[in-house]
Amino acid sequence: MKYMIMTFGSAEAGLAAMGKEWMLEMIQFMRNLDEDLTKSGELVSNEGLADGSQAKTVRIKNGIPVPTDGPFAEAKESLVGYWIVDVESEARAIEIASKIVAFVKQPIEVRQVMDAPPEF
Amino acid sequence: MRTEPAIEDLLREVAPQVLGTLVRRHSQFDACEDAVQEALLAAARQWAADGVPENPRSWLVTVASRRLIDAWRSEAARQHREEAAAVLDLAGQGAASEQDDTLTLLFLCCHPSLSVPSQLALTLRAVGGLTTAEIARAFMVPEATMAQRISRAKERIKAAGMQFELPPEAERPERLRVVMQVLYLVFNEGYTTSSGPTLQRADLTTEAIRLTRMLLQLIPEEGEVAGLLALMLLTDARRAARTNEDGWLVPLDDQRRDLWNSAQISEGVELLTRTLGKAPVGPYQLQAAIAAVHDEASTAEETDWPQILALYEVLEQVSPGPVVTLNRAVAVARVHGPRAGLALVGTLDRDERMKHNHRLEAVRAHLLERAGDIDAARKSYDLAARMTASLPERRYLALRAARL
Repeated sequence: MKYMIMTFGSAEAGLAAMGKEWMLEMIQFMRNLDEDLTKSGELVSNEGLADGSQAKTVRIKNGIPVPTDGPFAEAKESLVGYWIVDVESEARAIEIASKIVAFVKQPIEVRQVMDAPPEF
Repeated sequence: MRTEPAIEDLLREVAPQVLGTLVRRHSQFDACEDAVQEALLAAARQWAADGVPENPRSWLVTVASRRLIDAWRSEAARQHREEAAAVLDLAGQGAASEQDDTLTLLFLCCHPSLSVPSQLALTLRAVGGLTTAEIARAFMVPEATMAQRISRAKERIKAAGMQFELPPEAERPERLRVVMQVLYLVFNEGYTTSSGPTLQRADLTTEAIRLTRMLLQLIPEEGEVAGLLALMLLTDARRAARTNEDGWLVPLDDQRRDLWNSAQISEGVELLTRTLGKAPVGPYQLQAAIAAVHDEASTAEETDWPQILALYEVLEQVSPGPVVTLNRAVAVARVHGPRAGLALVGTLDRDERMKHNHRLEAVRAHLLERAGDIDAARKSYDLAARMTASLPERRYLALRAARL
């Protein structure tokens, strides 16, 4: 079963508020996590995204798609990065997310990637 | 590179025997497994060019042993060799037959202390003779991820000191149950799983059937193994009719039965007939019997629903659970009307195990539609569409809702 584990927020805010020490620890933590997930054969892919302030959102205006500066959601709720893991169960995906949450102290969303068998 | 089918079939057939011989001779399951994979690749290349050797098995054993010794010669592997020497005596005890080796291998790959994804991957590689790349493709993960998963599983086998021997008699039934479950999951993965547009991945289905057939040859007296093989054959027989030209799901009632594979149906029915009554009845035999009743009806209207209902009642006694109850509700609705089915579905509403199960809602939607309660049916279809984790099924359910 594949799950997407998503982190939200703003990289800028994180930097300013937490200080250098914490950032270094955070980088190490993420490295270790990626290494663990790679070793266990569960990591399908992972990406970090540019800060939400750099995003463009394309919307329909007067019937025409028009790009505007800024993220789709509020900057503090904007997607920052994700992991896709292929795991035995939802419980395992939540276990991975819990490890991240315990460190970053920010909520993490866990959502199944559509690939389960249809049952009829 | 694509190997000639005849060579590939031969290689995959002898792969577990070759691995069994090597492990018995040298111990060290993980190193032997790597060596056999290399030998299989070498054989695929060489045999296609030079022809198949007179004794393919001993050719592979020789080449794999050579690879193993080459690996051992390298400095880094010396330590492993010393560790291996300690367990060599144990592994060498008693000359077992090739059949036992393949069976032992299956039990080892499906060891309960391995995670389910690891059991599937290792079984396909060590017993099925598939390459890591092929397995990765089938499960739609990067090859590096699959390689890591397999090597992790092998490390675990080593760390736990698991021996290359058949499980003790007392543990046999439970261990066999896990093996059958792994084969069934491989089948299901191939039959129904899908990310994106394709609904079926035939390769895993075919592989699961091949491995189950092999297992049945090894232990023909096990009724549930026969039941499992029959269930796979009878389900897979409908493969071509299960989706239309556009890749949409086609429910059983609407399937073109002329597209069903009649040879596979005959084989499944025959196998089941031979088995039922001779061995203790179990859930696989019963599910196969239900599949057989469906497959034997030449039109959806001719389906013997009372018979299916009776089989579900037995199944619920043999292996009770909310999913079986839900399936029985479908049969109840066919025999006693949609309201009777809905009443049974309602009893599952408070079952914690069904809380996130979209199928409860999908069945309810169908029955509400048949009962003429269109508004409620639409709501249930919508809910089911939101709950399913299958893309083709979400499309199907959303379309059912939109059509009402």
